[in-house]
Amino acid sequence: MKTLVVYPSKELLYVASTLGGEVVALVFNEGEAEAIKGKAHRVVVANVDARLPDAVAEAAAKVAQGVDVVLLPSTKNGKTVGGLLAQRIGAELIVDATSLRVEGGALKAERYVFGNKAVATVEVPLPAVATVPPGRFQGEPPAVQTSVEKLQLDTAPKTRIVSVEEKARGAVKLEEAEIIVSVGRGFKKKEDLQMAFELAKVLGGQVGCSRPIAADLKWLPEEHWVGLSGKKVKPKLYLAVGISGQPQHIAGILESRIIAAINNDPSAPIFQNADYGVVEDLYKIVPILINKISKLKGQ
Amino acid sequence: MKIAVLIKTALDTSQLRVRDTVVVEETPLKISDIDRNAVEEAVKLKGQDKAYGVTVLKWGPLQRRIQEAENVLREALAMGLDEAYLVADEKLINASHAATAKAIAAVVKKVGADLVLAGEATVDNYTGQIPPRVAAELGWPVVTYVRELKVEGGKLVARRDLEDHVEVVEVPLPAVVSVTREINQPRIPTLLAIRAAMKKPINKLTLADLGISVEPKVSAAYKPLLMQRKKVVIKDGTPEEKAEKLIQYLKQEGVI
Repeated sequence: MKTLVVYPSKELLYVASTLGGEVVALVFNEGEAEAIKGKAHRVVVANVDARLPDAVAEAAAKVAQGVDVVLLPSTKNGKTVGGLLAQRIGAELIVDATSLRVEGGALKAERYVFGNKAVATVEVPLPAVATVPPGRFQGEPPAVQTSVEKLQLDTAPKTRIVSVEEKARGAVKLEEAEIIVSVGRGFKKKEDLQMAFELAKVLGGQVGCSRPIAADLKWLPEEHWVGLSGKKVKPKLYLAVGISGQPQHIAGILESRIIAAINNDPSAPIFQNADYGVVEDLYKIVPILINKISKLKGQ
Repeated sequence: MKIAVLIKTALDTSQLRVRDTVVVEETPLKISDIDRNAVEEAVKLKGQDKAYGVTVLKWGPLQRRIQEAENVLREALAMGLDEAYLVADEKLINASHAATAKAIAAVVKKVGADLVLAGEATVDNYTGQIPPRVAAELGWPVVTYVRELKVEGGKLVARRDLEDHVEVVEVPLPAVVSVTREINQPRIPTLLAIRAAMKKPINKLTLADLGISVEPKVSAAYKPLLMQRKKVVIKDGTPEEKAEKLIQYLKQEGVI
């Protein structure tokens, strides 16, 4: 058994160690190699730009010879490299694996499918490629002896990075939030979102939003966007305010412990997906909640 | 510019047929939403040249799905594609992603293209792996998660929407590009366009027509997730009383 980890993190190296056998890590500079010393048996440092999926896949294909499983993070570049590499080595790619094990010459994995409404149990022959969502597996890779080697590639990448622009970023880390107050189209204008921020503040939580608020109206930066193509969250309380509950939004909140919803439409689908629903005009009830909860917390 | 657009006839996840497992064969198909954005972009970029759709049927049963796929492709043709290629072959039902990508690449090689456009992921499986796989199969560069696309002198300039930043990249054609929903607003076809689409060709192909063979299928079982939400709805009383009730429930749950 031999596992290759591309873009290694502590988490990925831990998952690789649970599969047993030798762990090889592919990195793109000496600093990264140094950081994972003692956590993988072999570290290969390739002279390619880590930001170019084509180039990374090229390097990974070289190192993947004789490898049974390749693991990558479920980032956009990780998934892109996964697809490229899997096709090159004639392997299947399991994206966002929530469990992984090797048994009888096959990689067995589970993942959410169909808008997160079902769990697929997939079994693919080795060699196989998988990407792992961040924060899913927690553990420490065992300490091992590491050998470091270099890989020189002389192919010129076709893709050129012209510029990189940082996205507007606040202190929002929805993936780690314990309480999320999330806003949707029930809010009539941008200024009214202030109420939600107020409510989040008294609850000690963060503010999330549905797709239209971030993508169409652009009332909030995309770091607030919860859903299938936004953030997937798992707070202890998810309070959806003025959110109708489209399947793509629900797909992002499935792992919340308690879901509560406020909507003035009793037929809004969010109520079918919530533990506690309140049919009420958010403009009436949110100020009352802010008032009551701040008193409660003040006690 | 000649453009191939990948169109997935995806399972309609809002209409999943569920017994002990998800009954894929009985669940209706629809166009994978993000593919509409890819079609829109193709219609904008094609100029005087041709843009065509490519669909490989993955979900069975084959005969019934052919009809459903034709309806989906008519929708894309009504949006402005010139023709469509539908690969329908028993061997591709529940096939591996490697096999699906191989079939798509075979169509692109056969018909020719300067650019392949696809959605960032399909709405049923949401893996986003087909665009890079097709690129690997064709030996072309791939640019994924693109929210803005321009063609300048035989080159593509694309804005990639990554986790923490936007990356502007430049690649030579031919290339494979996957787009996000933010790239455009897909048009709604007029009645006239819908009628005209009935006359546009949908070419059906088998693996034999493409001259390729594919590897064995992949084993997958789909178990529905049971939604165990409590679904308590508070609808009586004044706003004040409702707020009080909600707070009581949330306190009982120990979440506030």
